[in-house]
Amino acid sequence: MTKDLDLTDIQGNIIKAYGAYNYQKARYLFLRVNNGDKGRKFVGAITAKVTTAISWNKSGNDPTVEKPTATTNIAFTYVGLKALELPTASLRGFPEDFMMGMAKRKDILGDDGPSAPENWDNIWKERVHIWMSINALNTEALIERYNWVVQQVEASGGGVTLLTGHRGDNGEDDLPYQEASVLYDESGESTPKEHFGFTDGIGDPVFEGQTNIAARVLGRGKLMRDGSWAPLATGEFLLGHVDEAMEYPKTSPSPTLLARNGTYMVYRKLHENVGTFNRFLDEQSKSFPGSKEMLAAKLAGRWRDNGAPVVKAPDDASKAEWDKAFEATDFAGKKRMLTDFNYNDDIHGAKCPYSAHLRRINPRGSLEYGVTDAYETPGALVNRRRILRRGLPYGSVKDATRDDGNHGIIFMALNADIQRQFEFVQQQWINYANDFKEGNDKEVLLGNHDAQHPGKVVLQVEPGSGKPPHFVNNIPRLVETRGGDYFFVPSITALKLIAAGMVDPT
Amino acid sequence: MSNIAGKAYAMNVITPIRWYTTWTNKLFFKAATLLPSTLKGLQTLSLIHYARWVIIPRNGFPHLDSSQPKEDLHYAYMLFFSNFNGSWDQYVDSFTFAIPSGLDLFWKWNVRYPKSVPLTPFHNYIRHNQIDTAHYYNAYPMAASNDVKSAQKIKKALINFNAKSSDKSPEDFLQDYYQLLNDLQHHFGDMKPTPIVSLSSYEVKKRYEQTQF
Ligand code: HEM
Repeated sequence: MTKDLDLTDIQGNIIKAYGAYNYQKARYLFLRVNNGDKGRKFVGAITAKVTTAISWNKSGNDPTVEKPTATTNIAFTYVGLKALELPTASLRGFPEDFMMGMAKRKDILGDDGPSAPENWDNIWKERVHIWMSINALNTEALIERYNWVVQQVEASGGGVTLLTGHRGDNGEDDLPYQEASVLYDESGESTPKEHFGFTDGIGDPVFEGQTNIAARVLGRGKLMRDGSWAPLATGEFLLGHVDEAMEYPKTSPSPTLLARNGTYMVYRKLHENVGTFNRFLDEQSKSFPGSKEMLAAKLAGRWRDNGAPVVKAPDDASKAEWDKAFEATDFAGKKRMLTDFNYNDDIHGAKCPYSAHLRRINPRGSLEYGVTDAYETPGALVNRRRILRRGLPYGSVKDATRDDGNHGIIFMALNADIQRQFEFVQQQWINYANDFKEGNDKEVLLGNHDAQHPGKVVLQVEPGSGKPPHFVNNIPRLVETRGGDYFFVPSITALKLIAAGMVDPT
Repeated sequence: MSNIAGKAYAMNVITPIRWYTTWTNKLFFKAATLLPSTLKGLQTLSLIHYARWVIIPRNGFPHLDSSQPKEDLHYAYMLFFSNFNGSWDQYVDSFTFAIPSGLDLFWKWNVRYPKSVPLTPFHNYIRHNQIDTAHYYNAYPMAASNDVKSAQKIKKALINFNAKSSDKSPEDFLQDYYQLLNDLQHHFGDMKPTPIVSLSSYEVKKRYEQTQF
């Protein structure tokens, strides 16, 4: 079945991971609405420049839509929509998670100890109403667009305030924006790396209505009984469209025009404890039967250097083979080798451990545990838990032995139902593991590991091999939350309605 | 009042069923028990402790004493009783997508059963007919059913190991020990308190605990 999305009505950040389109630089801005009337005017001014999801001109395509040098997107918290004076009848249609906001969900998300809201960047001590993003091809375009936004803020005559309080590279704690950027190698080339050295941004769900599905769906859609992949239902990621449960997402506020083609966004600033990670890896690899890189790969589910899936290259020898085949194949072949896999040949986790980041977060068909046709469809427990990932690394590692620099990931997840998708994964699959039959063992990279009672995971081996599994012990907290909130990303239509003060659920 | 105790969730659902169709349900129940493959999905969903469906005939409700007024029921009733880990809200998606035809088969003849997909009418149907748990005791609040199964397995394996390997030479002992770890590699999960099932039940629990000192 094919389905056409109204790409001119959908905000571009929902459909496109800008980083993949060579937008290497970003700034995230947060604002407060002081006055409903003036605030709506500000939203109207921004809406004129909001980047939609329309396909950009590629050679051979209709040359009407040029790729911009900078993009702009906008989203709102619940209190933000209230400050913009949406009618109560619309406001009460939003889901509880969104109404509460991220800080109040800390007990579900595991944001405790160093990740607790009292340790977040200063900006989160204020009520954030609006999120804005600027992604740019280069620094000049970034600054130009940023200055334009600042002008709009000034022109609002006190209607909105650009909030300060982001931590920066040089010890600042009062910056008016969060900077983010791809990382560069020694020669200045951009890389798909994050600060722990992993290759990121490979797999993102593919859903109905996206373009060029046949080429992209392998390993990224939903796994079917015959081993093929199909695009997920649009409604898993966009309100106003039918979801995997064959209904319209029940997280939609009314009227339909407000909800349709919008979605929810989770924004999280995740600090990476680089020094601790490096020491941990060194220490653990002393007793690990394999290279340090192999151990790192087992923790993430992909090898650091080129993203090779561990399930396809489970040890140092097979990785060398995989690399040769990868070198030899063309662009499409490379994509395929990176994404087209499942865990059916690895039911026991001997190749890719159950606790690997990748397997925990998207177990594909593996929660059937190899029981033939156990469920209606192999992805029964997974298809309602998928998220689109956006975002970029921030900061730089000046001293790889230390944790206290400014380095991490601005993580953004898009989904139609925060509680069912993002929160479920974060709570049940990262910080808990009953679905993986691993009790309370937390995922290594992201788990909210407790310094007093550090956890462990088991890296499985081939059953019957007589070999013991490898225990990874004393896991420190490697990633800490530094702030974030839940946002509603409206369609262009909805933005215009909000700006005009014309949202009417009657 | 809570449907939650420790890591377990108790679910009682009672739904009307036309008394003259109950025999079909009984047939399905029988078939399901005789043909274990129909329950494969249910069993693979390891968060489920157990699930039981029972038909209560129109005149089958307990009548304990002659002073108890007799009810005049138009329907027979199907009682569904299950304990599982997590909550109905958290896991309704997993149940519905894993075993939709199984659920439909069991509830098919129940009055106003909407089918398991689309999900919201099904979710509401169950919630509407659910009898909330007034009292719920859990002897092992930190144990999910997988933890219990693993603990039993480890205990048995350790006893066997002790019997078989305790007198072996260090080299052979080590080999047996490695084999033991290999056999048990899927059963070493830590057992710690439950993740928060819902913020409301979390608040209830906190308030309750404050009254205990
Ligand atoms: C600092 C924090 C994080 C790091 C270093 C990290 C790293 C990675 C890496 C290296 C990959 C493999 C590349 C790829 O497949 O695209 C990946 C994949 C993924 N990550 Fe993360 N991640 C982080 C946080 C998160 C969080 C908080 C979530 C969601 C709760 C998440 C969800 C995912 C998903 C859904 C995938 C793709 C899995 C698949 O489809 O197979 N990540 N991550």
